[in-house]
Parts: sequence; C-alpha cells; structure tokens
Amino acid sequence: MSPAPKPLEPLIMHPRPSSIVAAMYTLRDLDVDVVILHGPAGCSFKHARLLEEDGLRVVTTALDESGFVFGGHDELVNILKKVIEMFNPESIGIVGTCASMIIGEELHEAVLEVNPDVPVIEVEVHAGYRENTKGVIIALESALAAGILSEEEFERQKVLLNEATEVEKRHGAASKEYLEPSRGDTKYAVAKRIIQLLKEDKKCITILNAKKETGYMFADINAAVNQVAKDLGSDSVIVNMANLDDTLGLDRVRAHARNIARDLRGMGVEVHEIIGGLDEYPVTGETVSKLIAEKYPGFDFAVITGVPHAIPMDNLEGMEIFSVTNGPRQVLPLKEMGHDHVMVEIDLHPKTLGVSNIVESEFGATLRELAREEM
Amino acid sequence: MKQIAIYGKGGIGKSSTASNVAAACADEGYSVTIIGCDPKSDSSITLLGGHRIPTVMELMQQRVEITEKDVVFEGYKGVRCVEVGGPEPGIGCAGRGIIVAIKMLQKISTVMQDCDLIIYDVPGDIVCGGFAAPIRKGLVNDTYVLTSGEYMPLYAANNICKGFARLGNHLNGVICNSRNADNEEAIVSAFARELGSDLLAFIPKDPIVQTCERAGFSVIEKEPDSDIAKVYRKLARSIMERDSACDPKPLTDARLRELTG
Repeated sequence: MSPAPKPLEPLIMHPRPSSIVAAMYTLRDLDVDVVILHGPAGCSFKHARLLEEDGLRVVTTALDESGFVFGGHDELVNILKKVIEMFNPESIGIVGTCASMIIGEELHEAVLEVNPDVPVIEVEVHAGYRENTKGVIIALESALAAGILSEEEFERQKVLLNEATEVEKRHGAASKEYLEPSRGDTKYAVAKRIIQLLKEDKKCITILNAKKETGYMFADINAAVNQVAKDLGSDSVIVNMANLDDTLGLDRVRAHARNIARDLRGMGVEVHEIIGGLDEYPVTGETVSKLIAEKYPGFDFAVITGVPHAIPMDNLEGMEIFSVTNGPRQVLPLKEMGHDHVMVEIDLHPKTLGVSNIVESEFGATLRELAREEM
Repeated sequence: MKQIAIYGKGGIGKSSTASNVAAACADEGYSVTIIGCDPKSDSSITLLGGHRIPTVMELMQQRVEITEKDVVFEGYKGVRCVEVGGPEPGIGCAGRGIIVAIKMLQKISTVMQDCDLIIYDVPGDIVCGGFAAPIRKGLVNDTYVLTSGEYMPLYAANNICKGFARLGNHLNGVICNSRNADNEEAIVSAFARELGSDLLAFIPKDPIVQTCERAGFSVIEKEPDSDIAKVYRKLARSIMERDSACDPKPLTDARLRELTG
C-alpha cells in the first residue's frame, strides 16, 4: 500500500549551484531591469555583483534577526517603492531566499500593496532544491504568469532544462556524491599536442557547445585552433560546429549567438554546421553524433568546448578528444567518459558577463603564443 | 464552494468542532474535505473510526513519489481527509511544513477545489507565517473564531482577530465552545458583538463529545440523536448558508478583563 520509493540519488556532499542564483540569471535573460532579493543582505552576494556587470540591478530587503522574527513585508514594500522611484524600471523581479520562504513571506502581498504599473515577476524560490534548474523553472513559470513569456517558449525551455538536469546527472557535477575539483591538464602541454597534430595535417572537428554567454570565451578556443592551423600553414581539414542558431530562445540569448557568429566571421572562421541554439547545449549531442556519422567520418581529433559532457561518445570513439570546460568538478567525469585531454578555463563565467564580443581565453592565448614560437 | 478555517486557543475544541461540522455537512449530502494542518495530525481521526493516516510531510521526508491516493483518504460519508503532519515538538519548522504540503497537494490533487466545503483545521494561534498559509494563499474565504467565555481563550481569540486585520481577512462569526464558565453565553455574545460580528453557536459542555472521541468517532456518527449533535448540525447549516462577514475590531485588553470580570 505504501507509495513506491523514488530511485536513489547520489548523496550531495559539495555545495551545488543555487536555485536562487539560477532564478536571477533567468530574470536577466528575460531582460528584467531590477531584481529584489527578499532575504538577508549576504544572500547570493557574489552572483548579485556579477549580474550587475551584466546590467541587471540587484537590491536586497536586507532582512535581519528582527525581520526573520517579525516578517519582512514592510521592508519589501519600501524597497519596491524605492526601486520604482530610483530606477524607473520597465519590469521588476522579486526573488525569494531560504529565510523569507521558511518564514512564509508572501511576495504577492507587497506587490498588491504597492500596485506598480510595470510587470512584477514574483519568484518563490529557495536554495534547497537538488537541481538548480528548479530555480529556472520557477522563474519561468512566474514570467509566464506575469505575461512576459509565451506559453510556447516556456514549454520549450522546460524540455531543455530537464535535459540539462539529465546531462549533469549522467556525466556532470551531479553524477557522483563527491568530485574532487581539478584544474585539468596543463594548457601548455595540450596546446603543444594540438600544434603537433595540425603540423601532421590531421583532420580536426571543433565543436562549440556552449551555455549562453559562456560562448563568448569558449568560442575563442575554437577560433584559435583555426587561426593557428592557418598560421602554421597546416593542410588539416577543419570542420567547425557551433550551437549558434540565432533564431531560437530568448531575445538576449539570440543576441549572444549573433554576436559570437559575427566575431567568428571577423576572425576568418567559418562555421560549417549549426547544431542548435545557445540554450540547446543539453540536446545538441545527437545532432553532432549524426553529423559525424553521416558527413564527417574518419576524423583524427576533436576539440570540444563549453559543455563537452553533453556530447555522447558514440561517434567520437577513435578520435583523440580535447575538451575544455569551466567546471573544476567536470574534469574527472570527462576523463571517465574517455576524453584524452581535459582543460579548465577557470573563472570563465565572470569574464563573459557584460560583454558582447568574443573574449580571449587562456587556452586560446596559449595556442597562439606557442604557434608563434613554432613559426 | 465554502473554504473555511476555524481558529482559536489551543485545546479549545477546534478539531472536535471541525470534524463534527464536516460530518454534519456530509450527512446533508455536501461533499466535504478536511485538511488537518496540525503537526500532531489529529484533525481527521474521529472521521476515520480512530485510524491515523499517513501525512504529507512524513511521506515527503521518506522521499517517496506522492500521489493523491497516498495522502487523501475517505472517512465518514465520503469526507475526504488529509493530514499535513510535521515535526515532533521542539524541532524543525511546522509552519514551513504547511506551506510545502499545501503546494504539494495543489499539484497532485483536486481535493482542494472539487467540493462544497473545505475545512482547514489550523492549530492554536497563528503563531507564524506558515500557519497563515491557507489564508494568505487565498485558499480560505471564511474564517471563524472559536472560544469559551474565559479570559485566556477570549484573549487568544481577540489576538487572532488582530491577525485577521493585518492579513486583510474577514471574520464570519464567533463560536462558543462552553467550558461552563459563569454567564458564558452572554460574555461571548458581547465579545462577538463588540468585534462587529455575532455569536453563531453556543456548544454546551457535554461528556458525550469526549466519549465519542475516545472511541474514535464524531458525535454525529456515534450519537446522531444527542442534543449536542443537533447543535453541531445547526452550526453546520449556518456555516453553509452564511454569507455575512465583518472586518473585526479587536477589543482592548482592559475591555476583555471587564467582560470576563
């Protein structure tokens, strides 16, 4: 009679990406002007700061002990009024925190009291979810309710987010109860190996499978491989695949795809295959697999940047695989998948906020410098 | 659909009143749901022949996939019973439990929509945000206060009315559960009037209630012909027919002492 137990999930030992932060990034992607965090002043500080680099204003109700005990309704009302006065926003997000959600704060009551004439997206979220994509889904549901997101796009996003969660469970940072952080292989040694392969005219596939704005830096690596091959006078065949479809996803994400594609063109890099949009990194794997099997069999090596663990190994077998991630906890799972060389672009994400051009990567810079020395 | 909550001092008889009203309404042919929001999970026990049902929170704690049939149980004459459940005294956060359980119920069940009467049985005073969740989430449209004619229960009832005022909630009536205080009906009547409301029912103290509860039943089920069953039936009918409400004006403490003096 008792209900069936859910399948066992690995224990969580290291802190995981926060659903509160995920909700804030989602509001940024929806081009919300101001986010009010309803909770303690220290909550999500680092990402609040980073989001400011990206043009989103983040303020807090700064709940203290007395706020926890007596509730923070008045604080929320006051800051909501102040934000409207100071910033004249076209849309506002209110994001919950663990503290305000546990004490049962009703975000909607403050909105009713202030009654702003711009849309307010109320996101009742805390950081106690296993998957941070839960924060994205809650934010999107609220955006749908506030009328700033279409039903169709909402359903599309939900599918992608569920896939993203699956990818992390399969081969990502959620795949084991504990993953030792690692910087991966040294960029110097790996760059040397790529240069050697190019000098031997080996056939190369580069795959940019990036998550949204992180593409601004990951694309620099794909570009560097092409540029270096040219500079070295290599006769390697290089096929470039990238998830830079600019007709899919939220406006902000499409703009990133356009910007990156424009810069790649400017750097003389041709993208041969578009494998999806910048929010489709969890679902591009099959397309890549099919393309390799049908159009590009028999290549010697592959350079995969962004979310390399979303690309299945099926048709990569036999190639020497170079992958670049920005997650120190992603190194071990990638090695276990069979990637030969795994590198980490540390602190990549902060450097891709507030930009609209490709930014130089450490590995791209290493490749270029080593190639110059070779010439 | 009537969505009601009965508030009052702990131990004053909210659960007894709620289950008897639920049973009486079921007798009249209404479809009734009762949501027990007390971590002790004892709101529905007298509608289920003394049996306890698994609570939403204990199933969530076991991390099982919860479906409607795991947490919604049919009791006396089809009254649907749900217990939110919650932590043992002294640990965790029972208020958060109510918020989480109600959200979960809305997702997995229509029990909170498809009925004529839904009763939220909420413990004691509204001590924290979570206990007000049914009201604040717009799930309750009628609220009743239960009290005796003694000073402390009246003080609690008055305090709860202050809570209503701040939550923007109305008061639909005062119910007196007698503890045989002197002049009790007159005192509670005056209290109700001064709040701006009125006394909906005076439930006399009767050992039958205790006897039935000990056996695991409501008075309506076990002693349907008793005088007190008639009182509960009358109360049930007034709740179903009632559509007047007031914004309660809480009394001063001095006035409360004067009333009960």
